[in-house]
Amino acid sequence: MIEIKDMKKQFHDNVVLDGIDLTIHKGDVIGIIGPSGTGKSTLLRCINRLEVPDEGSITIDGHTYTSKAMKSREVIELRKQTGMVFQRFHLFEKKTALENVMEGLIVVQKKSREEARQIAFEELERVGMLPWINHYPKHLSGGQQQRVAIARALAMKPKLLLLDEPTSALDPELVGEVLDTIRNIAKSGYTMLLVSHEMEFVRKVSNRVIFLDNGHILEDGTPREVFEHPKNERTREFITKMNRLVEADYVI
Amino acid sequence: MGKMFDFGLVFRQIPSLLQYLPVTMELAVISMLVGLILGLLLAIIKIKNVGFLNKIVNFYISVVRGTPILVQLYIAYFGIPMFLRYINTKLGTDYQVADIPGFLYAVAALAINQSAFECEVIRAALQSVDRGQIEAANSLGMTYLQALRRIILPEAIQVALPSLGNSFITLIKSTSLAFTCAVVEMTAQGKIIAGRTYRYFEVYVSLAIIYWVITILIEQLIKFFEKKTALPEQVAIYNPERALAAQEVQAHD
Ligand SMILES: Nc1ncnc2c1ncn2[C@@H]1O[C@H](COP(=O)(O)OP(=O)(O)OP(=O)(O)O)[C@@H](O)[C@H]1O
Ligand SMILES: [Mg+2]
Repeated sequence: MIEIKDMKKQFHDNVVLDGIDLTIHKGDVIGIIGPSGTGKSTLLRCINRLEVPDEGSITIDGHTYTSKAMKSREVIELRKQTGMVFQRFHLFEKKTALENVMEGLIVVQKKSREEARQIAFEELERVGMLPWINHYPKHLSGGQQQRVAIARALAMKPKLLLLDEPTSALDPELVGEVLDTIRNIAKSGYTMLLVSHEMEFVRKVSNRVIFLDNGHILEDGTPREVFEHPKNERTREFITKMNRLVEADYVI
Repeated sequence: MGKMFDFGLVFRQIPSLLQYLPVTMELAVISMLVGLILGLLLAIIKIKNVGFLNKIVNFYISVVRGTPILVQLYIAYFGIPMFLRYINTKLGTDYQVADIPGFLYAVAALAINQSAFECEVIRAALQSVDRGQIEAANSLGMTYLQALRRIILPEAIQVALPSLGNSFITLIKSTSLAFTCAVVEMTAQGKIIAGRTYRYFEVYVSLAIIYWVITILIEQLIKFFEKKTALPEQVAIYNPERALAAQEVQAHD
């Protein structure tokens, strides 16, 4: 179980996270939705400390990491238990797909090259990238790069996988392959926080959806509850707007 | 009175000048390496913006870039012994100042001079690496030093290589000033030869040819490294059966 308590973050006088509490159960796939600029990315980045939260704590399997006075050793410890998939992939440019996946295993987990290779092969196979293991990021399409990035995160066997709009930097025809990959890993029992604007996908893949607005969690329930019977007026507005965007897409 | 210009001598004396090429190259290579390490440290201090240290680094760079290398060499040659003698009397240490070879003073001055220039080149190269990759490394649980060594440097080196190569070429030519620290390298040896033969002009022409050829060779070397560190244009699709077959062929060899 992972517990986030009273997570706060502000940039100057812009309060982005205003005391977020969130309990994540093992195997949860939580979709995080909300208008642009409400702090969805900031929440994920505060969880693995790419951003330093002003306040709050994270408890993973009984070990509590308190935001203030966190030693760099603890930060590393925390990051080892979480994986991150970025909107813009951020693969290591000078390394092949295989080396990208092996990197964390060798450097962070101190595995032997042989063992790292073995694991990397398996993970790349899982995301369907085996034929491209010797390719460099510049040789890969966006969708392929993102699948390698997912393999890189999964290879570390994180207790929590954070995905920040993993498909929104992709050309429309490449979105499908990445969504399929994410659906597969969700099925295999990974605990995930997924920020996405793909409402239909969020509705299908998550067992729980959170609506984030103005630094607060306004809605927290099953996809059905949140999408079909939102309690909050803001949620209703947001979902109507997103639906209209999808319909507009169909018209075009 | 002989010929006005002894053309043959220009080439005949090249071998005796080349005897001192190792000294020139040692000066250049050691100064370059020390300068690179110092420059990398300075660059990291500037990137990490370590408040107080940052000011010291800026001051250091400003002084080093604002003074001629010739003056710096003289300052090292006279200043360091003075400083050591002062330490000896103050702290009762026993540095044998007279035993320190001039070579070390020359290296100190050249390396310091180099570090100030390298710092800017290295900083620009380090900062050219996309922040996203560093965040990705961090999110895997790498420390800054691990990310620096494994992710940032390999990419930054390629960016910095042409500038570093140029500055190495400049450095080789700067070693010709090491006579100020009583080091006999190629140029100093040239002066010694000319002192005997009175053929100063011929010696300097010989030296010019040698330095020029070295520069061309090093330019080629840099180009070679640039090619070697570049990513391949295209890569074949991985085929497990073919990879296995290739392994077997290797095993048979
Ligand atoms: N480093 C920063 N410095 C200052 N303000 C920031 C910084 N990072 C984010 N912000 C601000 O914090 C707010 C939340 O940003 P965030 O990126 O978390 O939003 P988001 O919900 O992910 O939006 P989107 O859906 O567009 O990705 C925004 O107003 C943004 O301008
Ligand atoms: Mg975002």
